[in-house]
Amino acid sequence: MPRFLVFVAALAFSAAALAQDVTFGASVQLTGPVANTGRYYKDAYEFAIDKINAAGGVKVGSQQHKIALKLLDNQSDVNLSVRQYTQLLTQEKVNFLLGPFASNFVLADSSIAEKASVPMVQGGGASDEIYARGYKYIFGTLPAASDYFGSTIEALGKLNPAPKTVALLYADDSFDVSVAKGTRDLLKKAKLQLALDEKYSTNASDFSVLLSRIKSSNVDAVLVAGHETEVLNFIRQSKSLGVNPKFYSFTVGVPSADFRHALGKDANGASGMTAWLPSSTLKDKWFGDAEQFAKAYKAKFGYDPDYHAAAGVAAVEAFVNAIEAAGSLDPNKVRDALAKSNFESLYGKIAFNDKGQISLPQIVIQIQNDQVVEVYSDNKFEHKLVYPLPPWGQR
Amino acid sequence: MPGKEGLTLFFPEKMAERVLTPVETRAGSAKRTIVFVIVLIVVAALAALPWYGNSVLVQFGISVLLLATLAQGWNIIGGYTGYASFGNSVFYGLGAYGVAIAMVQFKLPFWIGMIAGLVLAVVFAAALGAAVLRLRGHYFAIATLALAFIMTAIVSNVEIAGSNIGLVLPLLKSDVLFYELALGLLVLATMTVWWLANSRFGLGLISIRENEEGAAVMGVNTTLYKTLAFMLSAAFTGLAGGIYAYYITFIDPVGVFDVGLNVKMIIMAVFGGPGTVLGPVVGALILSTISEVLATKVTSIASMFFGIVIVIAVVFMPRGIADVLRRAGRSPLRYFVDNVRTHRL
Amino acid sequence: MELLAQVLVGGVLLGGLYALMALGLALVWGVLNIVNLSHGALIMLGAYATYYLFTGTGLDPFAALPITAIVLFVIGWLIQRGILNLVIRGPMFNTLLITFGIEVILTYLAQLLFSADFRAINPPYAGNNFRVLGITIPLMQVLAFAIAIGLTVAMWLFLLHTRVGRGIRAASQNLVAARLYGVNPRSIYALTFGIGSALAGVAGGLYGTVSQINPYIGGPLTAKSFAIAIIGGLENPLGVIVGGLVLGIVESLTALYAGSTYRDVASFGVLILVLILRPTGLLGRTT
Repeated sequence: MPRFLVFVAALAFSAAALAQDVTFGASVQLTGPVANTGRYYKDAYEFAIDKINAAGGVKVGSQQHKIALKLLDNQSDVNLSVRQYTQLLTQEKVNFLLGPFASNFVLADSSIAEKASVPMVQGGGASDEIYARGYKYIFGTLPAASDYFGSTIEALGKLNPAPKTVALLYADDSFDVSVAKGTRDLLKKAKLQLALDEKYSTNASDFSVLLSRIKSSNVDAVLVAGHETEVLNFIRQSKSLGVNPKFYSFTVGVPSADFRHALGKDANGASGMTAWLPSSTLKDKWFGDAEQFAKAYKAKFGYDPDYHAAAGVAAVEAFVNAIEAAGSLDPNKVRDALAKSNFESLYGKIAFNDKGQISLPQIVIQIQNDQVVEVYSDNKFEHKLVYPLPPWGQR
Repeated sequence: MPGKEGLTLFFPEKMAERVLTPVETRAGSAKRTIVFVIVLIVVAALAALPWYGNSVLVQFGISVLLLATLAQGWNIIGGYTGYASFGNSVFYGLGAYGVAIAMVQFKLPFWIGMIAGLVLAVVFAAALGAAVLRLRGHYFAIATLALAFIMTAIVSNVEIAGSNIGLVLPLLKSDVLFYELALGLLVLATMTVWWLANSRFGLGLISIRENEEGAAVMGVNTTLYKTLAFMLSAAFTGLAGGIYAYYITFIDPVGVFDVGLNVKMIIMAVFGGPGTVLGPVVGALILSTISEVLATKVTSIASMFFGIVIVIAVVFMPRGIADVLRRAGRSPLRYFVDNVRTHRL
Repeated sequence: MELLAQVLVGGVLLGGLYALMALGLALVWGVLNIVNLSHGALIMLGAYATYYLFTGTGLDPFAALPITAIVLFVIGWLIQRGILNLVIRGPMFNTLLITFGIEVILTYLAQLLFSADFRAINPPYAGNNFRVLGITIPLMQVLAFAIAIGLTVAMWLFLLHTRVGRGIRAASQNLVAARLYGVNPRSIYALTFGIGSALAGVAGGLYGTVSQINPYIGGPLTAKSFAIAIIGGLENPLGVIVGGLVLGIVESLTALYAGSTYRDVASFGVLILVLILRPTGLLGRTT
């Protein structure tokens, strides 16, 4: 008799396991030149999905489904990522797509989603071009590139004495050119004089010429839109060339632990922006709040999550929320539900505009005493901005 | 030399053999017919693939066919003429930009873009060939490599090409069309190479590869021949780039002027057998399959594995698969050992 | 005027490091007739070796350089004896391809072992500088420059005045004659490749003190090393100093006057010009 019970239990169990999983597919950069950021998305997707599964999974109509993730490594190769997304849809039969890292990848991969009419939610690309194509199946959890420096410029205007001249440097890729374009308009509106406006090659390692020009044009503030390696070079070479602007801000690197680790004391004074900080005021259905999330994340992966990770988690949560709202796994119904998303999460309020992009203010941050400090958000200063920056020896 | 085609489908030409065997053997003719029929059947089967295969296979097919075309294009300048070009990715990029600029900036149809890309690539090859084809060996390789870097940087500053942001093309939801186009282009490229292998022109190219001074002495206009080969190579590479641009819907300078892609075409051609008609195609098929399977199954270590495959292939089969098929038949082990023995120090 | 002087000094300092990067490549190319596409990967490994010696044992990065050189020498020696030796008499494509394969393998091994994180060799005095005539001179760059030039000159003297050096030069001229002279080509080749790798390693260590390391820095550095080796010529190690300085200065001036994105156009443009204008002089060796 007990044996029979075990049998029945086993049968029931296997039937439950057979209840079809909802599968998400993603192709991200685990190796190759952009792997150091790409891997955040792997960690974020897996972390979010484990947590949601532990809470029972996603409810479709009346039935609970577990979520499965099929994740591939695109080796930082755009062409391979396009093939992998196709493969995920056609061979692995995944239900929905999570995005890769970086705008140029999203630009190519979103076409696959659009062709197949399967929604993709991505937290890796912010370039305005992604949303300018009229695609219906792409949603993004990073705010618009053109506005990255918006809050920074606003904060600069409230300083006393306010900086007057600005240098804008940017790398020559889709995302950073978008940032520069937006920033120029913002600077004009803020009546700041753009004294130096220079583009440089992605992966440039020698900034001595640009730094010498910054020094000789004596600008007050420097805004840099680039990649992490360039920002690291820029800061180290600023120090060794004794270039000491009153303020500098970078689109990448500043929020991440890797950055502070590589620079040590020299990281102090660097400003940047993030759409997200692990604050306990950001409530979340699965993780409690953003602070708890950050703690659990660090315990698991050994590094502090930054906005990349949070945007990745937000992408997963947006899907789960939309699937439950649609009560179906039909890609079109889920797509429509995504478009109507409106819920609070550890990342902030998730709602997409009619082009599919989220709108979140960028919080201005600065590294002070080896810590990331929130300086300016919601149109007001939270902490004092170190301005003007002290000479290099005293940071 | 009309009517004197040898067994050139798989075997590298040696001028001496060609000249010394004026009469075709009956066995050779029969074998040639068999190869021809097999190739015909394979092409027909490939053309029908979208109707019995699934869409993964079609996607994979587009990618393999384009790569095979690139390898075949490289084969003309690298395999037959003996000039290791690293500048073919430039032709690819120009072809892609031809289509993208025509379609996005001028709202012209795709086929006009293809012609624009073709013209761009071929004219560029002609202009450039005159200058860099004077260089030989590693020096030619490096000059063309430098060119690829330069073109990336220049196009990144060209407004009409969308600068660094790149261009976003309209979306066409018909992968079958791309597949058939890519297949057609590969067949055309392969037929051209086959013609080349049996023509006076091709013979001139081979004589340049084997001994350039000798060829010049024998009356081959080496500069003209090399430049024409470069242009022919550019034509197929550029067309492949054009198809790619419309298929992928988004191109930027770093993506299409990719030196890595150029390395890939060389590896595929050399792996299959440079200077043979079908070698590059077979090489592209085998290597793409390996790397595709690896990329999905073992994911992260896939590219390292690819490096290992290259090293092993170069050590044990330095003349490509074509040579393995021709000579390893009796005792494969001995063939591989012999290869190492002849090439080691 | 002060800006121009500052930029020129920067270009010269950069050029010294460039020269050392290219020295190993030029040596291997000149003697073994191998264009080593894995050269940048060896630079990358040298950078990591120095990084771990610095962070792991607290050794000063400059004091760690000799150890880095030994480690890289062994790696290079093994690569030559174990792999390259097997194909060295094959067609030209093949040595190109096999070193590309080695580059791929080394890069991914580095990614597995060291992760894709950025590393920087950042001793406390890294950002120091001093001023001469109103021009700021960064300490690290000057040290790197001095070591690079010193090593290049030492290499030149070594090739000219030692028995082994003469053996290497003999092997580069004519292998058969070298054999008669009593040189064992197998060991002289392995030795040369080892020295080339050791030089790459030292260049990597210095690179790490002025820039970042990650497993993928190799490719662009290989390309740059090509340009320098060709501009300077392969005959004489001092040529790479010329090549390095020319490139450093051209790049800096281009960045100043034409814009930073034209740097590569300028440096590779110079390379092509040199190749086209002096083809016979440069071609002597390969045909």
